[in-house]
Amino acid sequence: MEDFLYEAVEIIQTIWDGILFGSTYALIGIGFTLIFGAMGKLNMAYAGAAIAGAYVGLAVSLFFDATIIFVFAVSAVISTLLGYIVYQTCFRFIPTHNHLAALMASVGGLFFIDELIVLATLGSPMNFPGLFEDAYFEIGPFGIRGDLLFVFLIGIVSTLLLLYVLFKTRLGMATRAVAQQDIAAQLCGINIHRTNSITFSIAGLLGGIAGAMTAAAVGVLSPVMTVPLTIKGLIVTVIGGLGSIPGAIIAGLFVGAFENFFLYIRGIDERDMYVVALLFIFLIFRPNGIFSKTINRD
Amino acid sequence: MDFYLNLINTIGIHTMLGLSAYLLLQTGQLSLAQAGFFAVGSYTAAILTVIFQWNIIPSVLVAMLVSGFLAFLVGFPALRVKGLMLVVATIAFSEFVRMFFYNLKWRVTRNGEEIGPDGTMGFAEIRYFSDNGWSNFEVTLFLWSFVILIMGVIWWSDQSRTGAVLRAVGEDELAASSVGINLTVVKVSAMTAGGFIAGISGGLYAHQVTSLDHHSFTVLLGTFAIAYPILGGLSNVFGTLVAVIFIQGLLVEGLRFLGDWRMILFGLLIVLAMNFKPLGLFDKQTMDLIKKAIRV
Amino acid sequence: MKNISKLIGASMLLIALSIPQNAISGGHSLKVLGWGAKSGPLKSFGVNSEAALRSAVAEINAAGGVRMGDGSMAPMEVIGYEDSACKKDEAIAILRKTASTTDAIVGMGTTCSGVCQAMFGVLQKKRGDDSDSGVQMPILADTCIRPGLAKISDWSFRNVPNEITMYDELFKWIRTAYPNVKTFTGGSETDQGHSFVTYTAIIAQMAVKHGFQWVGPPVPELGPKVKQGMKELQAAAKSQHWLMGDTNYTVQARKIKKQNADMVIVASHPFSACGFMKEMKRQRVKPKLMVGLTSSASQETLNGCMSAAEGIIIPTGFAPITSEAKKANSIVSKAGGFLDLHSAAAWENAYLIKHAVERTSIMGKPSTLQEDRRKFRNALASITSQKGLIGHLTRDGSTGEASKPYVYVQVVNGKWKVIHDPNS
Repeated sequence: MEDFLYEAVEIIQTIWDGILFGSTYALIGIGFTLIFGAMGKLNMAYAGAAIAGAYVGLAVSLFFDATIIFVFAVSAVISTLLGYIVYQTCFRFIPTHNHLAALMASVGGLFFIDELIVLATLGSPMNFPGLFEDAYFEIGPFGIRGDLLFVFLIGIVSTLLLLYVLFKTRLGMATRAVAQQDIAAQLCGINIHRTNSITFSIAGLLGGIAGAMTAAAVGVLSPVMTVPLTIKGLIVTVIGGLGSIPGAIIAGLFVGAFENFFLYIRGIDERDMYVVALLFIFLIFRPNGIFSKTINRD
Repeated sequence: MDFYLNLINTIGIHTMLGLSAYLLLQTGQLSLAQAGFFAVGSYTAAILTVIFQWNIIPSVLVAMLVSGFLAFLVGFPALRVKGLMLVVATIAFSEFVRMFFYNLKWRVTRNGEEIGPDGTMGFAEIRYFSDNGWSNFEVTLFLWSFVILIMGVIWWSDQSRTGAVLRAVGEDELAASSVGINLTVVKVSAMTAGGFIAGISGGLYAHQVTSLDHHSFTVLLGTFAIAYPILGGLSNVFGTLVAVIFIQGLLVEGLRFLGDWRMILFGLLIVLAMNFKPLGLFDKQTMDLIKKAIRV
Repeated sequence: MKNISKLIGASMLLIALSIPQNAISGGHSLKVLGWGAKSGPLKSFGVNSEAALRSAVAEINAAGGVRMGDGSMAPMEVIGYEDSACKKDEAIAILRKTASTTDAIVGMGTTCSGVCQAMFGVLQKKRGDDSDSGVQMPILADTCIRPGLAKISDWSFRNVPNEITMYDELFKWIRTAYPNVKTFTGGSETDQGHSFVTYTAIIAQMAVKHGFQWVGPPVPELGPKVKQGMKELQAAAKSQHWLMGDTNYTVQARKIKKQNADMVIVASHPFSACGFMKEMKRQRVKPKLMVGLTSSASQETLNGCMSAAEGIIIPTGFAPITSEAKKANSIVSKAGGFLDLHSAAAWENAYLIKHAVERTSIMGKPSTLQEDRRKFRNALASITSQKGLIGHLTRDGSTGEASKPYVYVQVVNGKWKVIHDPNS
């Protein structure tokens, strides 16, 4: 009985930790899904730009004695800028219906950003200031990391803000119009490129927050993080349903919990295999993601 | 000389890898699973020559069949997803394959030494070529006979009805199926053929580098596989070859003297190439120029 | 056709350009060519090793150079230091380029074990075996520490500590220095061959050998001999390992916290070792002692997690403890590199080359190149002991396994401090 209780507590704790960490996946997922929703394209450079933003935030904190909130703000601003630059260089001048070229160009952008990071740091892992590192609450048998709770809250707040912008402002309306029918939107006087670059910037902003949050949660920034984050972000995007923001959030939290659970019971070597299996299950049974209403094979 | 032969071999292997993605791209399937098929091919061929001490030719052929069969199986579920969903699904597939080999241990003892795949330590001493005294030139001839054969077959199919059917599916599935093309057959065959080719190139790759581990088969490799045909253009097989020469010959090998700046330039040049030639180096414009040049 | 031929022409030109300019140069000098990762996440390896190699060669030349076969003194010349990006294909290309298009007598690279494993496989396995068409070129690697690489080829040499004796001695010393440490547990990164195998085949066994009790998930097979119970350990403790690029270490840290061991082994490279140690600190896991993987005894660990790593003990092949080591350290720092366990090997390798060349008669002419390489290989193989920066480098002629001296360092107040020198 005691063993069973112990295991139950451990598993609940594991899932809870996973959900909290999942909020970083959710933010990366939202970025992918936002750009997909707006343009129908994948921006492979996205997670790279997010991490790069965190690096610049970190650099600022090394030169000035900045508070962690300031580091977050710088990361977000730089990532916004990077989002804009990535749009201008990898998407803007490539014909709208050429998905392949845009995808490839953004892969080139990812290589470029990654290598710039390496150039600046020699690839060395860098210490990233944590958020209230000492806030570790122990409630009965459970432990809750205060910083992750904060990260989780930031995730929720930025998502709500994003939903507000998308559904309550003119800018959001324009973005959605371009996403639904770009030609019709253009006929209504919406400047597609301007709208798209704003979408990329907003996605970049979220990415910067996600990058800084991931870095603060781990406490270390390193260039080896970009590819795993990109892959997890993409998986989250698909499980949540391409283009669905609430889907990406739920999927992010779910994947975080799911992988932590399988790490606990099956070990590290099989953890990612289960995540991939989860994706396949979704592709077969719910190809349009968590919130899809109908299964649409085309 | 040895160095150039090695470079030519690398170009050959990557050309085959690129061509396996080329076929799929023609049918509109953007697949990053080629890295997975490549990995299956390389481990299969290496296990056959090292553990079972087979000759290289049957080993590569079996590697081709195994990869092709796996691709055939992947082809059916892949029908259900399209476009960017397929990208993510195939990334996940190749990660799955990578993790399979990452967990694979198959050690046998020969002459007092343990050989075979050793999980995360990799699979070392796949020395078929040097153990049998093949000179690098012979390896090049052997390898390029596969490359030329594959290029020839695809070139021929491009000119024939087969190519037209593939392209029709790639351009507009609805229209293609309305003229009686069986989408399932076309797409699954393209996937299978891609698996065959990736299997061959993986089998040869294993013997060129002599050591395999999961680091070689990451998403990066799958990205390269689609990068070649996209950069080269989908109008003919030579586009892929030229793109491989551009990336492996020029960016990877040719710019090595730039030291740390090489990889930065690498990303930048891909971005530039896609901006200036979104349909690949061999797009319609280039083809027209070439046709004109040939006529003159 | 014009465009294609132009394009191909341009590519060929650039490829041709990339061959070391002084491929076949005149003049009397001893040529070596190095390579290492100068791009990608492991860039620091190549940058530090290049600085160390070039500085050591400059020192040698300032002291008169190398005595050649004709009795004259010639300078040593580094004709290039290429970027192999810690990738197999690229390292093999560089190896073949060095062997076939340059008159370098020895290739010096690289640091990454996985790359060496592939590179050594391309070399001839047994020297003088004419049926083997492998490349005949001596390679002297700085590090490449993964166990078992030495046997792949007669032409491959490494300058590394022997991890078995290194951890054997370490735990023996900890036994006496920390008498209240009795139990241990640990974690590793499973996607890095060297970390994972060293941990499950060597470190755990050596700890058991010296009487430390494993308190992780039960592994009754775990014994004091190398590899004893390796498979069982890998299978039993799989939830307390991680991957190099991971971001979440909560499960692993909590498992280890529950085991409440006196000593925690963190067998991982700095990228993930830092993430894991930070998580341990957050969860207030306070073992009496932490022991790390030798690859983490570097500046990167301090960059990544100075305060979380406080107190970790790591055996390392380099620390500025002797006057030579201090001098080398300051010279390399001026040249823009760090001297650490990897790059110190590159420094010593330059001296190893000088030593080997002077044992035999190298002519250093284009016509004698292949003969020179063979002579050099034999001379290098015949060296069983040579003075290094912190003690004698030794090599077992029959197995080819090198053994480099080592010391134990600990992070004390955010700096590496030598706490014990087993040779003294």
